[in-house]
Amino acid sequence: MAKKYLRMTLNERIQHLNLAINFTILVITGFALKYPEAFWASPITDVPLGMTFRGFLHRLSGVATITLGGYHLLYLAFTERGRRIVIDMIPMWKDAKDLWETLKNNLFLNRPAKVIKMGRFNFREKLEYLGLIWGTIVMTVTGFILWFKEEWLLFFPMWTFEVARAIHFYEAILATLTIIVWHFYSVVWNPDVYPMSWAWINGHLTEHEMELEHGSELERIKAEEKRTPVHFNEGSGPGGGRTYPIHQERREKFSVKGLYGLVRHLNESIKNWRGM
Amino acid sequence: MMWRKHKAWMVPLGALSLLFLYGMMGEMAWGDNSKCLSCHQDEKLSKKDARGNKVSLFVSEGEFKKAVHGKLSCTDCHARILDESHARKGVKEADRKVDCGICHEESEKIYKTCVHRLKAEITCQACHGHHYVTRLADPKSPTYRTNLVQTCGACHPQESKQFAESVHGVGLFRGRPNHPTCTTCHGTHSIKPRSDPESAVHERKIAMTTCPQCHAAEQITKEYRFTTKPVKSYYDSFHGLSYRGGDTFSANCASCHGVHDIRAASDPKSMIHKDNLQKTCGVCHPKASVNFSKGKIHTLADIRGVDFGEKVVGWVRIVYIILIVAVIGGLSFFNFMDWLRKTIDRRPKE
Repeated sequence: MAKKYLRMTLNERIQHLNLAINFTILVITGFALKYPEAFWASPITDVPLGMTFRGFLHRLSGVATITLGGYHLLYLAFTERGRRIVIDMIPMWKDAKDLWETLKNNLFLNRPAKVIKMGRFNFREKLEYLGLIWGTIVMTVTGFILWFKEEWLLFFPMWTFEVARAIHFYEAILATLTIIVWHFYSVVWNPDVYPMSWAWINGHLTEHEMELEHGSELERIKAEEKRTPVHFNEGSGPGGGRTYPIHQERREKFSVKGLYGLVRHLNESIKNWRGM
Repeated sequence: MMWRKHKAWMVPLGALSLLFLYGMMGEMAWGDNSKCLSCHQDEKLSKKDARGNKVSLFVSEGEFKKAVHGKLSCTDCHARILDESHARKGVKEADRKVDCGICHEESEKIYKTCVHRLKAEITCQACHGHHYVTRLADPKSPTYRTNLVQTCGACHPQESKQFAESVHGVGLFRGRPNHPTCTTCHGTHSIKPRSDPESAVHERKIAMTTCPQCHAAEQITKEYRFTTKPVKSYYDSFHGLSYRGGDTFSANCASCHGVHDIRAASDPKSMIHKDNLQKTCGVCHPKASVNFSKGKIHTLADIRGVDFGEKVVGWVRIVYIILIVAVIGGLSFFNFMDWLRKTIDRRPKE
């Protein structure tokens, strides 16, 4: 069995799923207010008290997202792996160069295409993560102004409320489109991972995927592995538990792994298809 | 047989029967009212109703002739007059009601669903008058625009009084055309209770059709020099957006501006006067501070706006739109090129 590299621990996957669900609820319940006559808003607007429930759900999901953000901060501060994430997430000059070189590769300006080796978090992921933090802060602040308008208006004039309303709306558009255009491309429509990157479910990447997206990280792990014996512990491998060997497991009748293997097999067949 | 072969005899017979019919119609249409009027012309003619009140039975011939129904005969409307004094053979009958629905079928059909008929059994005559019904456009008609306030006020005195002092009522009595009267909002024959979703003054209709029928109408707003901005900005505010989605807790036009007593913001008695605004907002926002009454409510984002807030929101909007177009455009371009390159690399080699 091919070697697999840990990408997201179970804790991180649950965080990601939590954010995904809450983000979706926020997007739907939020835009249902702005576009109440839209066809997709009818499950909310056609139901009695639907709009009231919509508001409640939007606030609930907002609070859940903020709580998740708080938990994430604690996770980053108080776990070894979390602190490592912070260090690896710092934007570097190399990331800008990587982006530029990728663009040149794609436009056939680099002939032949340069092989770009990226770290644990490549420029795509850094851009998105930092954007997410920025968006969360903006939406939290403006959202609380809209929620507690009476208290806000004790100290600030009416027009600040209108500004908060405008920012909340346009930032929502920006965030939603960024997720669709940037995140969904990286993990779904990108031909390297299509139909989907499985890391958010099973938590790991294959060696091939590591080569494509995180070349220098792969080299670093391999160099480290030569020096240290293999550990069988998920959380505390060398360098903060970045790798773990997957040992042969007994096949169950149905498992995510089995499904994963099936889809990979299909994917490979499609990729290697030479025509009739 | 002769009469079957030669049919010329049919011509005079047909003409005669037609003439006969025509004569009958003439009799019906321009009936001779002199028989009835011989008694009812007397100004002192009266009777006592069930409560013992004196009811005048006088009909003025001159006025009746001028009215819309002046050419009808008495019996066209009073089809069955068989009470004590008119009784034949001493048989008394109670049915003395005039049924307008014989001719005015459409109105009758609509009026059957009206709250006035269903709840109070109010007859046509209560609003339209009895013998001297005039046209709607006649300033003397009880259903003329300015007279309606008084006509409805006979039963709804408080509402009429409030309306007469409101900005709508003042304009109406100054004789301005297009100013609303009772029926503009409530409808005519189809008046329904406020709780009925079909009613024009139902809470779901007020901000969708009832007020916007004038306040979002270009012609009227131009003529009277007010703007459609309040309607537009309401639809885009939190109140309006939630309302459009079906929220009944959200404020509509009447929540802040009142119902019959809508007054200009400059009027100290107005619900939206500066001094009263905190109280008006306070109905739903108990902790409403002074800042609720400062600054404009009906604002539209515009960098050339009058209000400071409008300008700021206008600039925020422009900056964000540029940002969104630049960022999303850039990301889309980058990813599209990435996808294109990877797809080209995957072409099956010949």
